[in-house]
Amino acid sequence: MRNHKIVHNVCPRNCYETCSILSHVENDKLVKVEGNILHGYTRGRLCAKGYALTEYVYHPERLKYPIKQFPRGSGNWQRISWEEALGFIAEKIIELHDRYGSSLACGYNKYSGNIGVLHQATEGMFRGLGPHTIAQGDVCLAAGNDALIYNREKVPFKDPEDMAKAKGIVLWGVNPARTATHQWFFINKARDQGAKLLVIDPLYTPTAAQGDIFLQIKPGTDGMLAMATLKILLEKGKLDEGYIKEHFIGWETFKSYLLEEVELSEASKITGVPLEGIKELAALYESKNCATWVGFGLQRYSNGGQTVRVIDALVTLTGNYGEIGGGIYYNNSSGIFPINLKKFPRPPEQEKTKERIVDINHFASEVLALKDPPLKLLWIAGRNPLTQDQDIDKWHQLFRQLELIVTVDMFMNEIAAQSDFVLPAATFFEDYDLNYSYWHHWIGINQPAIPPYYEAKSDLEIARLLTKELNKRRPGFSSFPAERTALDWIEGEFTPEVLARLGIKNWRELLQSPRKLIPPSEKSDHQIHLFSQKAKEGQLPALARFTPPLSNPSYPLRLLTPQSLSRIHSQYSNLSWLDFGETSEEVEMNPQDAQARNLEEKDTVLIFNEGGTCERKVRLNKYLPEGVVLASQGGQDPINKLFTGLKADMGILTGGMPGGAYYDVWVEVKKND
Amino acid sequence: MTKISTKGFLFNVERCIGCHACEVACKNENKTAPGVQWRRVTEGENGTYHSISCNHCSSPECFRVCPENAYIKRRDGIVLIDSNRCAGCNTCVQACPYHAPQFDLHQNRTTKCNYCIDRQREGLPPACVVACPSGALVNIDLKHLPLESTVPTVPGFPDIRITKPSIRFFPQKGKKRYWLKEEKSESTKNTDL
Repeated sequence: MRNHKIVHNVCPRNCYETCSILSHVENDKLVKVEGNILHGYTRGRLCAKGYALTEYVYHPERLKYPIKQFPRGSGNWQRISWEEALGFIAEKIIELHDRYGSSLACGYNKYSGNIGVLHQATEGMFRGLGPHTIAQGDVCLAAGNDALIYNREKVPFKDPEDMAKAKGIVLWGVNPARTATHQWFFINKARDQGAKLLVIDPLYTPTAAQGDIFLQIKPGTDGMLAMATLKILLEKGKLDEGYIKEHFIGWETFKSYLLEEVELSEASKITGVPLEGIKELAALYESKNCATWVGFGLQRYSNGGQTVRVIDALVTLTGNYGEIGGGIYYNNSSGIFPINLKKFPRPPEQEKTKERIVDINHFASEVLALKDPPLKLLWIAGRNPLTQDQDIDKWHQLFRQLELIVTVDMFMNEIAAQSDFVLPAATFFEDYDLNYSYWHHWIGINQPAIPPYYEAKSDLEIARLLTKELNKRRPGFSSFPAERTALDWIEGEFTPEVLARLGIKNWRELLQSPRKLIPPSEKSDHQIHLFSQKAKEGQLPALARFTPPLSNPSYPLRLLTPQSLSRIHSQYSNLSWLDFGETSEEVEMNPQDAQARNLEEKDTVLIFNEGGTCERKVRLNKYLPEGVVLASQGGQDPINKLFTGLKADMGILTGGMPGGAYYDVWVEVKKND
Repeated sequence: MTKISTKGFLFNVERCIGCHACEVACKNENKTAPGVQWRRVTEGENGTYHSISCNHCSSPECFRVCPENAYIKRRDGIVLIDSNRCAGCNTCVQACPYHAPQFDLHQNRTTKCNYCIDRQREGLPPACVVACPSGALVNIDLKHLPLESTVPTVPGFPDIRITKPSIRFFPQKGKKRYWLKEEKSESTKNTDL
C-alpha cells in the first residue's frame, strides 16, 4: 500500500472509555480505525461510534473555513480568512476592555465536546485576558461526587478492570450496554466465574436485559431501596457491628433510624420493588466482594446526592470496602495532571480582581442578571447549549445583549447557526493531545494522523493565534504563553509524580503505547461518615438517609432523557453509519398512559410543561413504568426546552455549583390536532 | 490448497448487548456503500438482540439460484460472490433467509459478507468478531464445535432448514424479572426467556 502508516489516537469524547485508537492513514487520508490491543481496558476494540470515525472526519457537512454571518441568524454566511476573523475578535476584546476597564464583559461557555487536556486551551486563552466571565460547574456527576466526599472524605479511585474479580455485581442506574461497552468484558469475566449480575433501573435497558436479576424501580427512590436492604441485613444479623462501630461515624443514630423509620412494606410501596426483589438484593450483599456500579443518572435528581450517600452506606456497611473487585464504582478521576493551561503565571495586575463565575447549569439566566459590566462577547467551544442546556428561551434573550458570539465547532450546529463567527475546529486526528479517563486508569498521547481538514484548527492553535493578534495590537494585552506548542504543554503535564505513577522516565515513551497508572499507596483506615458534619454545614441532612424525590402536581408524567447509543449528547447525530433507527422525534410512553390520553402508536403529540412545548410522535413501550415518558436528547426541536431551574441537592464541593437535576422534569402529553 | 473446514459463527444471544459495534466495524473494514449492511443488529424478544451476516451456509440458496453463477462455496466453507459477474437481478437477495446478499443501488450489483477474507490471510478474525465487546459473537470452525453445548437455532432467528447455515447458538437460560409493583396489580415477578 502506498504511504501507509498507523498512528496512535485517543478518543476524547465525554465517555467512560477514552479508547486507544490505531488510525490507518494512506496518503494523508484516514482510511480505517481499529482498537489498540496494547490498551488493557479497551483491548483492541472500539464502540460503534468509534468505528464510524472515518465517516465523521470526512463528513460532507464539516466546516472548512472561518465564516461570518450578517445579520446574526440570517443564514447569510461569508467565508473569511483566519487573520480577518481573529483580527476582528481581537479588536472587539480590546475595545470591550477599554470600555469597561477589564475583560469581564468577555466570557466563555465551554464543556465536554473534547475532554483532552489540551482542549483546556480555551480556558487558558481567556485566563490570558485577565479577569473574565467563566461558566463553571458540572453538568454531569457532581452531586454523586459530593455525596461520596461527605461519606468518605474522598471519591474512591477504583480500577474498573478489577470488576472481573467481584463475586457479585450490582449495576445501579447505569447502562453500560449503551455508555461503556468495554466494561462487559470485565463484567462477563466475573459472571463466567459465578458472579450474579443484578441490575436496578426504572427502565428495561439492554443492560437490564443482561441481568440475571432485574429490579425495576420508581425513579428517584433508590435511596429507599438501599435503606430497606440494609434493614433486612441488620435484622438477619448479617452486619458486622463490631467492625461498624469502630469505622462508622453516626452508626447508632443511623441504626435507630433504620429500625424505627424504615418499614419494609412501606419501602416496597415507595420503590415499587416487591419484597422478594429487595431480598434478592440483600442476598447479593451478604456475600462479600460485591461490586456496585452507581450510574450518573440516579444523581440527576433533587435528591440525587442523598441517594448516592445511602447506596454508599449499603456498600460500606456490608463490608464491601477496600477489597479488590468489590466496593463502589462511580468516577475514577485521578486528578494527577496539573493542567497548566489553567495555571500559568500572570502579571500581578491581572490577579487584582477575580474571575466572574456563572453556573453552567443556569448560564443564560445568570448572565442576563449580570451588570457592571454586562456580558458582551461570548465564546462557545465543545458545547451546543441550544440543545443541551436548561432554559433555552433565556439563551435567545441573551443573544440580544451580546455584541459578538463566536463558536468553534466541526459542524453548523444549533448554536453555531446563531453566532456571528464560526471557526472550524480540527478533529482529534489533526493535532496532539493528552488524554486520561474518568473511569479506567490508562493514559495516552493523541498524535496527529492527518493534516488539518481544509483550514480547521484545534482549540490550542486558535488560542495561540488569537493571543498573537491581541498582543500585536496591544503588546502585553494577553499573558497566555502563545509561544508554547502542543508538545511543550504536554511535556509540562508530566511532573515527577506522574512519571513515577506511570513507571516511565520520559513522557515520550507514551508516544509508543498507552500506559496504566500504578495505583496510589492508600491508607485503608478511613472512617465512613453516616453522620456528616460537613453535610450539615452545607444545609444538607447530616445523616445518610432516604429523602423522597420531588413530584409536581401540575404535570403528571416524569420525563427521562437518558443517553442514546449512537450519539454522545448532541455529537454524531448526522452520521449515516450510526443510523440505528434512534430518533429525537419520538416520545416513548407506557400503553396505559397512552390509552388514558386516547393516544396510539405514531400519533403526533405535544409534550409540554411551564417551560415550553415540543412536538413528538408516540412510540409505545410496554416496559416503561406508568407515569414515565422517555425522549432522546438533541434534535431540531430540542426536548431541553422543557427543562427549567433544575438543581440537584449536591455538587458545590466538587463542581463549584449544584449538579443539574436533569431527571426532575414533569410534563403532560396531548394529541396535536 | 485451502484446508477443508466449515467456517462460521457461534452466537450467544444472552451476551449480545445490541451495541452495533460489529455492524459499524464491518463498514469501517469493508467500506460498503451507504445502505449496504453486510452485518446487521436486529431486536428480538424481551430485550434480546441478534447480529446477522452471511452465515456461509452448507446449502447456500444464493449459490443455487444465481443465474450468472456468480457465487462460489470454498473448501473452507466461505461463500463468496464475484460481483463482476453479478447482473443485479436480485434473485439471491430474495432467496436468502438472512438478507445476506445486499443490493448496491449505485453499482447495480450485489455484494455480501466475505468473512473478511483478506484478514483471514493475515491470520486475523473477521472485523465484526474483533469488535464484539461482550464475547457474544465468535468465529469458529463448526467441524470442531462440541455440538452438545450449543443449539442450531434460537427464537426469532430465520428458518434454518432451507440453507443449513454455519452458525450455532448457546441455549438461553431463564432470568428473574421484578417488574414495578403498581398499587393495582400484585403479580410482578416472572421469569423470562
